[in-house]
Amino acid sequence: MRPHEFYIWMSYGMTALAIVVEIVALRVRRARSIRRIEEERDLEAQD
Amino acid sequence: MKIAWFYFASPSTFYRLAGWLAPWFFVLAAILGAAGLYVGLFVAPTDAQQGEVYRIIFVHVPASWMSMFIYFVMACYGAVSLTFNTRLAAMMARALAPTGAMFTFVALWTGSFWGRPTWGTYWVWDARITSELVLLFLYFGFIALANAFEDPRRGDRAAALLALIGLVNLPIIYFSVVWWNTLHQGSSVKFTGTTMQVEMLWGMLLVALSFWMYSIGASLTRVRAIILEREGRTHWARSLAT
Repeated sequence: MRPHEFYIWMSYGMTALAIVVEIVALRVRRARSIRRIEEERDLEAQD
Repeated sequence: MKIAWFYFASPSTFYRLAGWLAPWFFVLAAILGAAGLYVGLFVAPTDAQQGEVYRIIFVHVPASWMSMFIYFVMACYGAVSLTFNTRLAAMMARALAPTGAMFTFVALWTGSFWGRPTWGTYWVWDARITSELVLLFLYFGFIALANAFEDPRRGDRAAALLALIGLVNLPIIYFSVVWWNTLHQGSSVKFTGTTMQVEMLWGMLLVALSFWMYSIGASLTRVRAIILEREGRTHWARSLAT
């Protein structure tokens, strides 16, 4: 990879990071939507 | 065999279908990505002019293709939602936007890190690069507009309209290297053929396929969350959160 390994790995590294961040964001969003439904259901059950 | 489109257009049915399909697309993306990176990093020969730095092409070009392709598909979903007033099409358009924005950012970032050793600069206001940056802003605009209204259906319509107007940017990106004298090189792969060495081409196509499968997996996963957010008060959605 010499002498340009910095540029190559910065490119591959950011691609991998972007994909990982998106996957984490997807999981967080899904967990948040399920938690909201559970909270609303529990609130209605109390009423 | 007739496919019951209206049956699958129901959010509750599509929620289950997407949940079943998404993991398969992620598995396919991982396999194709591993194969593409192996070919790109270990099998493809060193470029005669650029040396090893050309290997950025194996993520840069597939990310650029996906940035434009996802926008096109997103605009198509927007058109379907505007024409037929279908909820699921609007949700799919919303689900695609963040993935499209991510690939546009990756295309700009990797292009910048390819430009520094080859052109001597990270950034230049070249027609291809500037129109790709406009695409990123169009994605941001779509996401912002879709979420700017209290009534999500109004947000769907406004964002779909923006997506359709923004379609004009796609031919500008694609033909910018032909229409203007740009620093960015011309397309290595055209609809009519390619001048690339076969291992290089295979590496790039495999990663492009991997990104495509990933995009489908990610949008199906995101649309499930959007369906839950929209349909959270329905009985079927509540039964899922047990």
